[in-house]
Amino acid sequence: MTASQTLKRFVAPLVDPAVYDFWAQKLSPTLSWERCLARIESRHVEARDTISLVLKPNRRFQGFQPGQHLNVTVEVNGIRLTRSYSPSNALRSDGRIRLTIKAIPEGKVSRHLVHHSKVGDVVELGTTFGDMTLPKEAAAWLFVAAGSGITPIMSLLQTLLQKPLEQPVALIYWARTRADLCFSEDLHSLGKCDPLLKIHTVLTRESERLPGELDGRPREALFRNLVPDLERRRVYVCGPDGFVNSVRELVEPQAALFRAESFSPAPVVTRAGAPVTVTLSKSNISVQIPSGTPLLKALEDSGLKPAYGCRMGICNTCSCQKQSGSTTDTRNGTVQNEPSPVRLCINSANSDLTLEL
Amino acid sequence: MTSSMTSVLNRSQKKANRPSDEQLAAFGAELDALRERTLSDLGERDARYIRRIVAAVRYTEVLGRGLLFFGLFPPAWIVGTLLLGIAKILDNMELGHNVMHGQYDWMNDPHLSGKSFEWDLVGTSDHWRKTHNYNHHTYTNIKGMDEDIGYGVLRLFPEQRWRPFFLGQPIYALIFALLFQWGVAIQDLRFGKFFNGKKSGKEMLGEMKPFLKKARRQLIKDYVIFPLLAGPFFVPVILGNLVANGIRNLWTYTIIFCGHFTADVQLFPKKVLKDETRGHWYFRQIRGSSNLTGSKLLHVMSGNLSHQIEHHLFPDIPAHRYAELSVEVRAICKRYGVHYNAGSLLSQFSQVIWRILRYSLPSKYVPINASA
Repeated sequence: MTASQTLKRFVAPLVDPAVYDFWAQKLSPTLSWERCLARIESRHVEARDTISLVLKPNRRFQGFQPGQHLNVTVEVNGIRLTRSYSPSNALRSDGRIRLTIKAIPEGKVSRHLVHHSKVGDVVELGTTFGDMTLPKEAAAWLFVAAGSGITPIMSLLQTLLQKPLEQPVALIYWARTRADLCFSEDLHSLGKCDPLLKIHTVLTRESERLPGELDGRPREALFRNLVPDLERRRVYVCGPDGFVNSVRELVEPQAALFRAESFSPAPVVTRAGAPVTVTLSKSNISVQIPSGTPLLKALEDSGLKPAYGCRMGICNTCSCQKQSGSTTDTRNGTVQNEPSPVRLCINSANSDLTLEL
Repeated sequence: MTSSMTSVLNRSQKKANRPSDEQLAAFGAELDALRERTLSDLGERDARYIRRIVAAVRYTEVLGRGLLFFGLFPPAWIVGTLLLGIAKILDNMELGHNVMHGQYDWMNDPHLSGKSFEWDLVGTSDHWRKTHNYNHHTYTNIKGMDEDIGYGVLRLFPEQRWRPFFLGQPIYALIFALLFQWGVAIQDLRFGKFFNGKKSGKEMLGEMKPFLKKARRQLIKDYVIFPLLAGPFFVPVILGNLVANGIRNLWTYTIIFCGHFTADVQLFPKKVLKDETRGHWYFRQIRGSSNLTGSKLLHVMSGNLSHQIEHHLFPDIPAHRYAELSVEVRAICKRYGVHYNAGSLLSQFSQVIWRILRYSLPSKYVPINASA
């Protein structure tokens, strides 16, 4: 434990983190007693509707492993919203991370970051997760990416190429058009730096192809031609749900190892009355309740006893943080898919939920 | 003479007028629509507002406490004490009270979360969330359920039975005002039960633990740590902190009493709770509350509880919106003939004083069922 950590532990009972943060952030906007904040240091347009942000986190940042996702929280119109993005760079000695983000049409956070974020803005970083990470031993790799699924793959590739490759590595990268390709220059120079690395781009909506570019959806012949030794490759795939599923069907049976990450779609909303699973993260309990019933009543019917007061949405006694899932406000029918505090008495589940209870 | 008598009667009858069930249903629907419209508009503007209030609390506290270190110099002591008083008032009312109602929960900011906010008062926030957010806001002005009616020590309505004890009420009211934060802090501890033997000392102590811990922290902060920081000039700091707490106590007491104990405010019997509709509930909130008219400064310094009516209708809507909501609430009330009780601080507080004095003396007991 360093001297500053010891001092911190000693004075902690006297410090109100909110007050500390308020004054510390007058000095530097990313200082915080306990939260991991990061400042946007630069913006770079990467492809159509896509930018890369270089972030400088404060000392609370725990780091990440190449290939993992990271929760990023930003404030949009006064509301803090959280999404996961993958750093698209290898670990850097100065601790900076690069996030590459594509604006999606209905995406509040991605549109905010791509169109409105400025150098100097502060975002909050949360936990990292994901198991598409690199093992210590060398291996033959096939990376398959579609769209912004390239971001964790880029981090993995850059990490691998910090040393000369011992075994073959291939990347097959799908995008709609050439204008949608991220890291074109980086990939081009990476491709030249090691003869064991092969990079293939597949464009699905480009009218004319240049030499070396492919087209069409994932299909068996394409994989067979590009990677004849599939059975010795470890395969990591990242892309939209449908894409990942079709690659899985084609490749998983033959590959030496198969791991995939797909962009998490909005929570699956069921019809009212259908059972959903509610996980209470603090008590480590899961129960099945009917969707469409106010959560307080449904949890009580399952034999649980959450705190409550007025049972009509006034007193806030039964409020707790919803960590994931979709709920409906039973008074006005408003659907809330974001993590946020919910009052159990006036909200019902539309999907599986995780509550901080 | 007779005609003026009738007009007086008419006026007070008009104030107590309760629309029919159908009218109340429509009345409730209009208020619901207003609520939804406001909720869907919450955003950047509200976030900026509450952060400005946070900043105001932080700056006034630092300036106030800083000046008190130079408290041997009288002007510094006076300004320092006033600023610290303002910091405590803002922290309690526009920030703490409102945040704890969950008014800013939609921002999803852990520092502004209704469930976890803790304020600069001897009472714990958890305790407040129960007595105030739950008891007082759900059962507003229902005799026997809303313990804010006289706080168990005052007789403010003819529906409360007179006892000789209440003759001393003007004195109790003054002491209660000066020590308001302590009164509110122990409201739920029910010392009465302990004194008449229904609760053991051990139980009492157990229930008091969170309060004792919080009170100790507050006392150490205001009367040990900051005075010590002033070194040899500790006396003006202690006095300044004491007076700042006193200013805050008197002010919050005044605002809260003006919100519920003015002349035309109505009490309700428990039976109204049976099958109470949304419209009835709104009606009860309006008839149990009264507003203060005045400047923007008055509204901010009262945590917008000067709009007590709007606060009771929409306790979870950010309070700085009440001023604009009040225009529409007033118009809706007018349409349905529901009396909207508003007046200046002077007029409303005189009515409170009148109640304190009048009902310290014997008066005919009015059974609650008859009055509703």
